[in-house]
Amino acid sequence: MDVITDHLGEFGDGLLLTAELTLLALAGALAAGIIVAAMRVSPVRVLRAAGMAYVEVLQNIPLLVWLVIAVFGLPEIGVIAGLFTTSAVVIALYQGAYTAEAIRSGINAVPAGQGEAARALGLTFVQSLRLVVLPQALRTVVQPLGNIAIMTLMNTALAAAVGVVELTAAANRVNLAEAQPIWIFVTAGLAYMALSAVFGLVTGGLERKLAILR
Amino acid sequence: MIMVRTPAGMRRAAVAAVAALSLTGLAACSGGDSGSAVPGSGGGKTDDLAASAPVASNLPAGSTMEKIKKRGELIVGGSLDAPLLSQQNPATKKVEGLDADFGRLLAKYIIGEPKVKIVNSASETREALLSNGTVDVVLQTYSITPERAEQVAFAGPYYSSGLVVATKKDETGIKAPADLKGRTVIAGANTPAIPAIKKAAPDAKILTFGSDPECVQALKQGRGDAYVQDQAILLATAKQDPSIKIQGEPFTSDPYGIGLKHGDTQMKQFVNDWLKKIEASGLWAKTWKNSIGTVVEGDAPQPPAIGSAKGSE
Amino acid sequence: MSTSRLLFDEPGPQARRRIRVATALTLLAGAVLVALALRQFADNGQLAADRWRPYGTWPMWRYLLEGLRSTLYAAAASIALAMAAGIVLALGRLSPARWLRIPSAAYVEIVRTIPALLLVYVVLFALPKYGLDLPLFWKLVVPLSVSNAAAFAEIFRAGIRSVERGQLEAGLALGLTRGRAMRLIVLPQAARRVLPSLVSQSAGLLKDTSLGFVVSYAELLYSGKVLANYNHLLIQTYLVIALIYLVINASLAKLARTLEARQRTRPSRAVREAAPAAQSLSGGTTPQTPR
Repeated sequence: MDVITDHLGEFGDGLLLTAELTLLALAGALAAGIIVAAMRVSPVRVLRAAGMAYVEVLQNIPLLVWLVIAVFGLPEIGVIAGLFTTSAVVIALYQGAYTAEAIRSGINAVPAGQGEAARALGLTFVQSLRLVVLPQALRTVVQPLGNIAIMTLMNTALAAAVGVVELTAAANRVNLAEAQPIWIFVTAGLAYMALSAVFGLVTGGLERKLAILR
Repeated sequence: MIMVRTPAGMRRAAVAAVAALSLTGLAACSGGDSGSAVPGSGGGKTDDLAASAPVASNLPAGSTMEKIKKRGELIVGGSLDAPLLSQQNPATKKVEGLDADFGRLLAKYIIGEPKVKIVNSASETREALLSNGTVDVVLQTYSITPERAEQVAFAGPYYSSGLVVATKKDETGIKAPADLKGRTVIAGANTPAIPAIKKAAPDAKILTFGSDPECVQALKQGRGDAYVQDQAILLATAKQDPSIKIQGEPFTSDPYGIGLKHGDTQMKQFVNDWLKKIEASGLWAKTWKNSIGTVVEGDAPQPPAIGSAKGSE
Repeated sequence: MSTSRLLFDEPGPQARRRIRVATALTLLAGAVLVALALRQFADNGQLAADRWRPYGTWPMWRYLLEGLRSTLYAAAASIALAMAAGIVLALGRLSPARWLRIPSAAYVEIVRTIPALLLVYVVLFALPKYGLDLPLFWKLVVPLSVSNAAAFAEIFRAGIRSVERGQLEAGLALGLTRGRAMRLIVLPQAARRVLPSLVSQSAGLLKDTSLGFVVSYAELLYSGKVLANYNHLLIQTYLVIALIYLVINASLAKLARTLEARQRTRPSRAVREAAPAAQSLSGGTTPQTPR
């Protein structure tokens, strides 16, 4: 057990970075998801096509490939950012595609009468989406979004492959130094489980509070 | 394909899904094996090397070497992605470089023909590969250390290399490893560069990437101030890319050995005899010329004395 | 797209004008961004013909396509193993016996919160220390199967639960044992209903095989790494690889949609509610297609 206590600092830093990466990516994914979902139900055909292309392209290429391309390719088109920032943005955009699909299915689950009523009141597209449809849509997709949150947490581990020393990379480095893999990897696994449990509790609480029974 | 016995309907569904998946894939890669390797392109020199290479006159009965000869090929634990040492040429599928050439020469010595099968081994598991007999030898920038020598036997050293520091061409503040203090240093993931940097400059921030071109790209993009890597690999990089400069001489000494199964003293003796033979005949120097010598000017260096490294006695 | 009609009516003359303006602005903004990026890309020499010419030659493509073949082998083996384990776990979780239900549930709940990369490290670094050094292929396939089994288990469980209770009861009434009724009556229906989810989970798993990059198993992404080491064309190589993944996975996604469209003719709303909740560990949440 000494390996763990001796390297508590490294594990702590890794855990913190994983939590930060997850939260930033989730916030970004939610923003990207709402925008892309709105594009996909908008009356402008080009926007609908762009939204669809976004989802297809992002979802069909492995996140690891996206990370490598972004880290090494973006500076070549003049976008230079740190490894942490680049990873957070890439994971946010990647999960954004899944979030958009979840939100869109939520929008489609809102009864058509709601949209019609909003328009009858004279609301514009953006107003009726923002004030009437989205609030209801988001409530119905709390569970899928919770799953996306856990998926995001899992996916932050891939940032290890592009030099971000988050929890998985920290565990790997400690193991390279100490060569006591079992304790080290079990500790990292428990840390991930604890983080997921927090997400699970938050989602469960939100769902109980917001659920609409239809 | 392994499949736990499952109810028939389920199995059908699963098989259907798998089949659908494979079909999509097959359509996309049906050309995959129709073309054969381009004959003779590249690696021609390597064949010349093997042509003049010695063959052992007799193999002790019951020895590992005899088993290898009976099998007809030498199984080598090596890399596919180490330029100048052991790098696969995608056009010919042939693995080229110093380590790869030595593998072929050793195969010729044992079997009579340079027949080698390279098992791509992640650097962490080489000891296990040798001890469970997956590979006969490891030829993969395998530094001889006393700790490793507790688990494997080392013939050689057959080559001595070291880590060097590379920077962008216009860098003036980094001349020696001590200058890495407080800087961000790039290194290959899971390479010996990481502990070496920690030793030379304990407070340097280490940034790791999975492959050499990634590290080079990161250095060029300014993600780190310096890049620490094996001299041979960096020489090749610096030659190919003029914006990269090597600062100073190697600051570590890594004697590369040929990893063998722990306790196989007979084979260790045999491989050491072979090394002495090719070093004396000039074949060692020719092999060096064929790989590292293509980027380094001048004559081949003096090979390290056999058994000189701690752990190879 | 009937669903998108929710938020707007048939546009009138004014709305049509506004849509035209929005279209023009979107296209303009897109074009400007692409142009700027391309210019910078070209300024850095990344568009130079020399840097792309190798990818117009057959040996490079052959090498990558062989990598793709290994990707497909690894994916097929992982899918088969993970699905088989998933069925066992789903049945275990739905079993009346506690000693089956609790371990199955524990497996699913624990494994779905552990990153596949961490499992890869365990197989890569921990197991050899205890004498278990798998060949490279299995170093990739084992952790992927272990991790995806949990996701497949959830999909199968959703499918089984969507089959009306009466089906099982009718089987029992006919004198079948519980196991036989499950196998002969419930499972075949369940599998058919969750087929789209199974396909999209498999597509996610195919993406996960890119972890071969870490394992150094010569699948597509690792082949790209070897290739980039050889030709020093890092960015070009990874872009080509991204394109290959896109083509393969987009075809799989299309297959999933086709299957789902065929499915929609049969009424099974419950399963469509349940299936999207089953999620992937690192690959794909079920793409939710319009209902």
